[in-house]
Amino acid sequence: MRLFQQPANGNMKTIITLVIIGVVGAVSFVVGYGVNYAFFSDFTPEQPIEFSHKIHAGDNKIPCMYCHIYAERSRVSGVPNVQRCIGCHKIIKTDSPLIQKLTEYWDKKEPIPWVKVYNLPDYVHFTHKRHIKAGLDCKLCHGDVASMDRITQVSSLQMGWCLNCHASRDVANGRDCWTCHK
Amino acid sequence: MKRRDFLKFIGAGGLGAAAGFIFGRTGKPPGAKLMPVLIPDDNITLGLANYYSSLCTQCGAGCGIQARVMDGRVKKIEGNPGHPVSKGKLCALGQAGVQSLYNPDRIKTPLKRRGERGTGDYVEISWDEALKAVTANLAEIEKQKKADKLFLLTSPQRGSLGGLMRGFMAGIGSANIHEYELSRYLNLQYANKVSMGLDGLPYYDIANTRYLLSFGADFSSTWASPVNMSYGYGQMRQGAHRGKLVQVEPRMSLTGANADEWVPARPGSEAILALAIAHAIVEKGWYKGADAGAWRSLLGRYSPKDVQEMTDVSTERIYSIAKEISSNKPSMVIGGDGLASYDNGISGHVAVNILNHLIGANGAIGGVLPNDHDSGKVDFKRGIAPFNQAALSGNASALIVHNANPAFTTPVAAKTGEALRKIPFIVSLTSFMDETSVYADIILPIHTGLEDWGDDTPSPGVGFPVRTIMQPVVTPVYDTKSAGDIFLSVAASLGGKTASSLKAGSFAQYVKDSWQGAYAKDRAMASSALTFEEFWNNLLKKGGWWTDQEPKKRSINVSAQAVSAYLPQGQAKFDGKDTDYPLYLVLYQQHGMRDGRGANLPWLQELADPTTTVVWGSWVDINPKTAASRGIKEGDLVTVESPYGKVTLPAYLYPAIRPDTVGMPIGQGHSAYGRFARSRGANPIEILPFKEDARSGAYALNSTRVRLSSNGKGNMVKIEGSTKELGRGIIRTVSSKG
Repeated sequence: MRLFQQPANGNMKTIITLVIIGVVGAVSFVVGYGVNYAFFSDFTPEQPIEFSHKIHAGDNKIPCMYCHIYAERSRVSGVPNVQRCIGCHKIIKTDSPLIQKLTEYWDKKEPIPWVKVYNLPDYVHFTHKRHIKAGLDCKLCHGDVASMDRITQVSSLQMGWCLNCHASRDVANGRDCWTCHK
Repeated sequence: MKRRDFLKFIGAGGLGAAAGFIFGRTGKPPGAKLMPVLIPDDNITLGLANYYSSLCTQCGAGCGIQARVMDGRVKKIEGNPGHPVSKGKLCALGQAGVQSLYNPDRIKTPLKRRGERGTGDYVEISWDEALKAVTANLAEIEKQKKADKLFLLTSPQRGSLGGLMRGFMAGIGSANIHEYELSRYLNLQYANKVSMGLDGLPYYDIANTRYLLSFGADFSSTWASPVNMSYGYGQMRQGAHRGKLVQVEPRMSLTGANADEWVPARPGSEAILALAIAHAIVEKGWYKGADAGAWRSLLGRYSPKDVQEMTDVSTERIYSIAKEISSNKPSMVIGGDGLASYDNGISGHVAVNILNHLIGANGAIGGVLPNDHDSGKVDFKRGIAPFNQAALSGNASALIVHNANPAFTTPVAAKTGEALRKIPFIVSLTSFMDETSVYADIILPIHTGLEDWGDDTPSPGVGFPVRTIMQPVVTPVYDTKSAGDIFLSVAASLGGKTASSLKAGSFAQYVKDSWQGAYAKDRAMASSALTFEEFWNNLLKKGGWWTDQEPKKRSINVSAQAVSAYLPQGQAKFDGKDTDYPLYLVLYQQHGMRDGRGANLPWLQELADPTTTVVWGSWVDINPKTAASRGIKEGDLVTVESPYGKVTLPAYLYPAIRPDTVGMPIGQGHSAYGRFARSRGANPIEILPFKEDARSGAYALNSTRVRLSSNGKGNMVKIEGSTKELGRGIIRTVSSKG
């Protein structure tokens, strides 16, 4: 079977073949990238200490903002300072090897190198404060943290995901580029 | 589809998918870490910025700044909007203060010399050991009653730190405090002292003037107080009366490029030109003062006709400037580096004072106004020449250096290096390993301005009293100390008179105490707050103390009798015979580098020079005509040789420099001072003669002739394509005379 009815001259044919090869290659590139992203990315990275949100937020019902103290008033929610951890764990469950690991960091006066799960690129201006002020539940983006032992990323954090939510809630200027990219 | 084509597409698809997959893996950000703080600071909300008012220490102008601090890090420095000097603006050097603070080449711990002097071979020691070594040396000097052989070399200090240093030296019994910086405008201050009786630098009310004649004052870039003066210049050019600027200088500076008229007088003849204009004003009767007769006889020998040959400015032009400056009131003359940098610098500034007298600018709004505050008296007898002399003749047995770098900013002929080598013990208080500190035996790393306490009285001020406070905006980045704390702790361990005169527990306390003293004396300060604590808190918030005032006019007289001894005899002297060395050499400070202090900050290296667009290096300005006659092309390496040495730099063909003159920027050519500064460009100061005026303590930068020789292709990085419009009619002009 001839791919093209019109017998083009040799040059034309080569060019068209190259273009098609290019298009096929590009489409496969996107597919390959997507496969890697969807099936081979670690959305539940291992942490330096097997900290369980289920025990803290679930079983013991500690409110999110007891530890993530800046969420209401700042861009970032704030990873809890080590003093906050040790404040309770000086007394609570000091026999657990995990807590001993924590105490070790504290004694050495070293921060715990937590692995970031929710990561936004630098060109996105996101602020927790606005979203909390709008009355959103943390769950909406972070999932049911109270049932997770190890935190897993439940939202794609892609722009479409942001915009869908902004559109469905009729956010003022919610579709303006400058709202997030400034 | 042919089988072959099918296979090709399969292949392309497979390769594409694989590439996408691999790119997806490698393109991912490396597992970002989320580092918690150990103990939270109550003043810090992560992700939110705090703004602190403080003082810029990048140059001596004394601008008030606001630092934006987030998560305990300085992110940005801008001008303090309420501050009368900076008015919310800040120059590039000031903004780059962030890079001074976080510079990778900062000295991080105290150091002790191991190798030869000047090699920079040091070992790290503890603060305890370092301070003990310093104390032991000073105690020995006290014991042997050789206090007069102790020297302190510091950048000019107008605030509490200066007071502390003077107290320290007086306690030991030494009067040898040498304040040093390349541009201290000593000739200007000396001339103002002898002709008008003024101390310190006056305030130039550029905003309210309508005609400004500037003799080589590059005030929009580097001269005196560039931020304040640029702001004033902006005001002057706005509104109903757009002020006119005439700039006299052999090489067009950024200010010259903004002027309405550029007068490239012959280098060294500017003082004569100023007096020729003065002569014209008196001769034509445009000066109506009672002392016109005295001036007429004093200025008789400077008639425009007689000096047009020497100044290379036509008689008509001199008369036209004289007419415009007398008829457009208020008008003002500023004498800048274009006058001060010659061996007759004092005469030049005296000539400007005469001119200002004749046009009524001294003490007038839109003219030259004295400052009401005391920014410290200058000791003209303590320049760098007497210091070097003392050291070379063995009369210095110990030296404390603080933020001063004469080894870089004095010519080889000044023998500063040799002098430093002769001093048995040198301790340097510095943040960076500069050319002077490499001679030190002990290096004590000090805070930068963003980590330290301090205060300042700006000079030139703004015509009414201003005092700025400096406070730490972040915790120290490295194991450094405040210079003030070092003096206090050494004084405490020395004991005796030194310790009893300096009792404050810390420099922070010393600064606060000095403000408490001022608060107790100053009625305006005292009435602004109920208690001193309230006053102090307001002070830290606001960034200093000033009341909202307008400058007031004053009466200042310049008498013909007082200045007659200071009139210029002729053109300034240049070393080298004109047959051997046919070209004048003029040096100028470069926008971001200033006297070389900015060269270790990559932002400033990357910042294109405003007139040449050159980055990361220095150059030699040559007029295209001069270059063509010598076969020099743009970018060629050119050796510039004076009777005292030579430097080699790429040529920049600059149409806005006199053909009989070459120019070179100061600031590059460091042999130390960190990775960004070292071995970049050349330092033209090296090839100058060393002629320090014994009266003012200033040495002449423009005082030698040079010759050029071409030296092959060079490497100059610049941003502009061409200075020519190549016949494209981009810039169309119409003659104003129609």
